[in-house]
Amino acid sequence: MERQMINKKKRVFSFEPTKLPPSEVFTRKYISHLVPALKKLNMGKSSPQINQLTVKREVDKALALSAQEFAWSRFLLQKLSSSNNPTTTTSSSSIQTQILERSNDEDGEIEEKLKELQKLLPGGEEMNVEEILTEIGNYIKCLELQTSALKSIVQDAT
Amino acid sequence: MDLSVLERVNWLQQQQMVSPDFFEILGSDGREELKRVESYLGNNNDEMQGFRHYETIDGCISRTSSFQMEQVKNNEENRVIALQPKRKTEGKTEKIENKKKKIKTEDETESSMKGKSNMSNSETSSEIQKRDYIHVRARRGEATDRHSLAERARREKLSKKMKCLQDIVPGCNKVTGKAGMLDEIINYVQSLQQQVEFLSMKLSVLNPELEFHINELSTKQFQACFTDLPEAVSKQPMMVDASSFPLQQHGSLDYSLINSNQTTILSSKDQTSSSWEIHSQCLYNNLRTDSVSSFFSHK
Repeated sequence: MERQMINKKKRVFSFEPTKLPPSEVFTRKYISHLVPALKKLNMGKSSPQINQLTVKREVDKALALSAQEFAWSRFLLQKLSSSNNPTTTTSSSSIQTQILERSNDEDGEIEEKLKELQKLLPGGEEMNVEEILTEIGNYIKCLELQTSALKSIVQDAT
Repeated sequence: MDLSVLERVNWLQQQQMVSPDFFEILGSDGREELKRVESYLGNNNDEMQGFRHYETIDGCISRTSSFQMEQVKNNEENRVIALQPKRKTEGKTEKIENKKKKIKTEDETESSMKGKSNMSNSETSSEIQKRDYIHVRARRGEATDRHSLAERARREKLSKKMKCLQDIVPGCNKVTGKAGMLDEIINYVQSLQQQVEFLSMKLSVLNPELEFHINELSTKQFQACFTDLPEAVSKQPMMVDASSFPLQQHGSLDYSLINSNQTTILSSKDQTSSSWEIHSQCLYNNLRTDSVSSFFSHK
């Protein structure tokens, strides 16, 4: 099926209690990563500004750790681990060399948009067009799950 | 020259008659080699546009064809020509088969295929077997050389993926064309990332006040939550005020995907006193019932 391209861990959705759809698996993992990290942060109380950044880092880290089947999560982890040190990593393999489109106006637009997409996706710089489209699909899904998880946490706390 | 259906049928029969002799010449491995060559031809021919992967003659469109052989080298080829009866259609056949042989002897170099042939499209049925190649059907009027075929296959893959993305990203259905869809996708990803940032900021503000009882809940309870869904009774429905979420300035994007499933269904078994525990159960119930999970199970 076409969706298998995007949903790489496609499972049979059965009624057995042991088998869970991937969205649940992801959410569980995410929360199990995030909550202990937040707890830890709670323990060592630092100043609010730093706290914000670290929370964001933890949030991203939890995302990357919960979705390790996907390529972008590896890049995200790399970025996070190297964000402690000053980074010079971005090897920008220009997308122009990878898209074999003709260079008329319309395709130029598309190339620009693909470049933007590359920037949005962690690790997008090093992927070609096909990979970007695939990875963007599951990246969006995981982002959505992440937002709903975060929302629930925040709302439950207020 | 246009061929009538009858002539074409005759030609085919003749061809089947001829091919055993032809293969004899090639030797025991000849048939295999020819098949290999033929399948190679199927992927790469400027000149062999006549051979498509069609099974039946009936769908054929007859067109004029002229074929120029540039290089005739081997003695074997001459022998082949001598063997075949002289019909105009078979003249074409033999030339093509000679060409195949020549390709075989030249180790299937692409240079042998390029040439100054003036052959226009003529579609006839062929006995080319199906191999493990990526079959891209060459449509009428389209080039069938290797590069075009590969690029067409690539383009079809890309458009397939775009279609999948269309299903994921809400609001993509209304827009057509790659550029518009990519725009929507970019906007959606950006808005999702902004949401995450905002939520994490909120979380960092609230962090000291949170009590994390989540570790006290056992896995068993979670499983019970999931499996009890059909029997669950809604005790404390939690409706979230969607308007309180400030990042809704993108009117075109549909956030129902995220905001729609805020009602919770508590299983009657798991009545706990701690409000956080109830809320964390709600958390899992929320995330289970939404359309996001339906995507993963949807084929």
